[in-house]
Amino acid sequence: MNTEGRSTTSGGRRLTRRDFLRATAVGGSAAVFLAACAPAGAPTGGAAPTTAAGEAPVAGAPKQGGTMVWLGHQEVAGLSPDDAGPDVQAVMINNIHNPLVYYNEFNELELVLADSYEIAEDGLTYTFKLKEGVKFHDGSDFTSADVKYTWDYYRNPDNGAVRAGLFTGVSEIETPDDLTVVVKMATINAASLANWASFPIVQSTYHAEVGESTYRTAPIGTGAYKLKEWRAAEFTELEAFEDHFRGRPNIDIIRLEVVPEPSVRTIALQTGDADATVWPLLVEDSLSFAQDPNYVVLKALGNSIKHFPLNNSLPQLSDKRVRQAMMYGLDRERIVADLWQGAASVAHSNIPPSSFYYDPNLKQYPYDVEQAKALLDEAGWVPGSDGVRAKDGVRLSFTMTTITGDQARRPIAEFAQQQLKEIGVEIQLAEAPVASILEGLRNGTLESSIFNWTYNNGAIEPDPFSTLHSTGGNNFNQFKNAEMDRLIEEGLQVVDPEERRKYYDQIQAIFVEEVPCLYLQYDEWLNVFSARVKGLPVDPKASTVWFYRAHEWWLD
Amino acid sequence: MARYITVRLFHGAIVIILISLLTFIVLRLMPGDPVFLLLGEGQVRISEEQIQAIRTRWGLDKSYPEQYLIWAGNMFTGNFGESIIRTGVPVRDMILEAAPVTLQLNVYSMLLALALSVPLGIWAAVKRNTAVDYASSVISVVGIATPNFWLSLMLIILFSLMLGWLPPFGLRSWQGFIMPVIVLAIEQMAVFTRVMRSSTIEALKQDYVRTATAKGLSRNAVILGHAVRNSLLPLVTVIGFNIAFLLSGTIVVETIFALPGIGRLFTDSIFRLDYQVVQSLVVVLAVLVVAANLLTDLVYAVIDPRIRISR
Repeated sequence: MNTEGRSTTSGGRRLTRRDFLRATAVGGSAAVFLAACAPAGAPTGGAAPTTAAGEAPVAGAPKQGGTMVWLGHQEVAGLSPDDAGPDVQAVMINNIHNPLVYYNEFNELELVLADSYEIAEDGLTYTFKLKEGVKFHDGSDFTSADVKYTWDYYRNPDNGAVRAGLFTGVSEIETPDDLTVVVKMATINAASLANWASFPIVQSTYHAEVGESTYRTAPIGTGAYKLKEWRAAEFTELEAFEDHFRGRPNIDIIRLEVVPEPSVRTIALQTGDADATVWPLLVEDSLSFAQDPNYVVLKALGNSIKHFPLNNSLPQLSDKRVRQAMMYGLDRERIVADLWQGAASVAHSNIPPSSFYYDPNLKQYPYDVEQAKALLDEAGWVPGSDGVRAKDGVRLSFTMTTITGDQARRPIAEFAQQQLKEIGVEIQLAEAPVASILEGLRNGTLESSIFNWTYNNGAIEPDPFSTLHSTGGNNFNQFKNAEMDRLIEEGLQVVDPEERRKYYDQIQAIFVEEVPCLYLQYDEWLNVFSARVKGLPVDPKASTVWFYRAHEWWLD
Repeated sequence: MARYITVRLFHGAIVIILISLLTFIVLRLMPGDPVFLLLGEGQVRISEEQIQAIRTRWGLDKSYPEQYLIWAGNMFTGNFGESIIRTGVPVRDMILEAAPVTLQLNVYSMLLALALSVPLGIWAAVKRNTAVDYASSVISVVGIATPNFWLSLMLIILFSLMLGWLPPFGLRSWQGFIMPVIVLAIEQMAVFTRVMRSSTIEALKQDYVRTATAKGLSRNAVILGHAVRNSLLPLVTVIGFNIAFLLSGTIVVETIFALPGIGRLFTDSIFRLDYQVVQSLVVVLAVLVVAANLLTDLVYAVIDPRIRISR
């Protein structure tokens, strides 16, 4: 959910160039506290853990058995693939179900239920060959009929599925035989593999019989774990599925406990009542666990930008020079270092640095008060007697509405208020619940806020339609730029990545020049694990999806 | 008596209908659209048509009066509708699942608070203006003044982290109840002790106490047999008031100790604009408050024959 403001669809893939550099630099800071976490030969592919173990002599052979407790921050509201909730839901759903393909924690496309796939030259036909001998939890065989049923059900507008938008462009799904699925597209959708092809598959006859409402409470998938007990607000318990196609998982029971209070989650890890956090702790707590050899901290940079959305339709914010001046007027390095304990990286684009589409040569906004003042002078905003600039009777002042109770991000808003005062910009602070803020920004009645949101579609997919297109559903900035609209629309029609890159280079250039919002930083996403958990990935690039690999872990 | 109860029930019904109407309106006035919360973020592209389909699925496309009548009508048959967020789960099941947790917390903590505060209050009254009395005052003031969340965290740090005696969260075993119940009891105990002390002091001044002492009864017999019986009445008022809130008032404790009770269901649902859950819970709580008030008034008459219900 967006309370904490970050992408959750299709698992949230994150990586950065900085992480990549760290990974390659021997003895880099990231490598230091990750060194103990996993054997050098830890399985990263789809191979069964028992066979991969031979390659990992350091940590010993995987052991069977045990219960692993995960900590989440809010209830697991439902377990259908359509439950586009926060990570706590996604990690449960994806351990119960499998998709055909998905982008794993190294941002590599991994085949799961698919044995192979082929995309036609024109980008309008996708052919998937399915793995043989895959069983559902009820013992039935997995076939192409399940794939067709799942995709058809969730893309059908009559069923009111929340994630129907993932299936944009799909026109028809054919099943020539039990192990082949052919998808015909009406329009090209360059994001297909990251979107609909990563959608978890349900057991078709069972789902058709019980319906979506019941299915959410009692799912049947092909995943390594099957649902044992579900008490939404309390815990969700999964048990090993003996006949899983990648082999029986090592850990017998996985239990996700819902613990809303972050300090209690920290204590539960310290007392040994829990083995991992799915939802991050307070940054300072995670960083102190990173110093402790009894814990392993996995981290990766998020795709969502921590930013101040700005209502571009306001007279005082409509001039791009004003917005640029505010970028110069903010010491973003200091926000990262002092207010975020260094667990973030200053943003220079709407696309995360590690993405294939990231352009490293974009215009940047270093902290430069003089430059900021010069821009405002040039734009005709003159300081008034109270120090606040004004032009044509309009004061350069706006209200920033932070999320009620958002202790973590509120200090950044206060810091910005102080800093921008220096250049003659006045910010008033207010608070409101997250639902009102999102609605107010969408319909243009709010002026500004602070939260994390993706201005891309993950590290894999660069499309920013939802946030930067003038008709996008999340156009928080009321940003209307015809050139941007055209580039976004055309970018989605191109399949070849090299060809596509040109469109996103231009999109990024417009983004940094126009400054639709004040973009601050990409946050690091930290998950703490007890050191008794073995088989964890080494230096992953994308957060949260590492939990989809729980079947390869074991407890020491 | 029968007439009195009938009139009170009629008043109660009107109050509940007004509350349900008001809750319904206030919830709709709250800015924000549950569909967008449902969508989460990062949705690639969702068309107006798809949003409309979701609205239809949850009956949000109907007019407000229509939505209210459907909901109110269903309430009478015990059908509270379905949660939007916990998609498709009946709201009644959610309430029934959460209620026992909060109910147990409140009952246990009230019993614990009474068990401690009644003797302490009496003792403080009898030993008025002595060290015992002052100590009980200090305990009460500290009890009222200590914030719930702070005390909870301190207990967790002490008993879970440092001593390792109790689980830091959850209700997996009965031990899970210990810390939350202590926190809630300390808060209530403070009030109970003060009430018990002052009403006992009042009772000790009465003529019948002097008479009882004069006729040679032991001090204990006078206090317990004569004074305390009468000094319990104000406490019943306070307890009655507490019973009305047996299903609420534990939000902080439920959040910190990760207990899946009514308080958390309520706050979570408000933040997620889960209309059906919030409005149904409000009505259920309103019914409880109305019923508890009526019950308290009736219990007065039973405990103290001097109170007669008029009209």
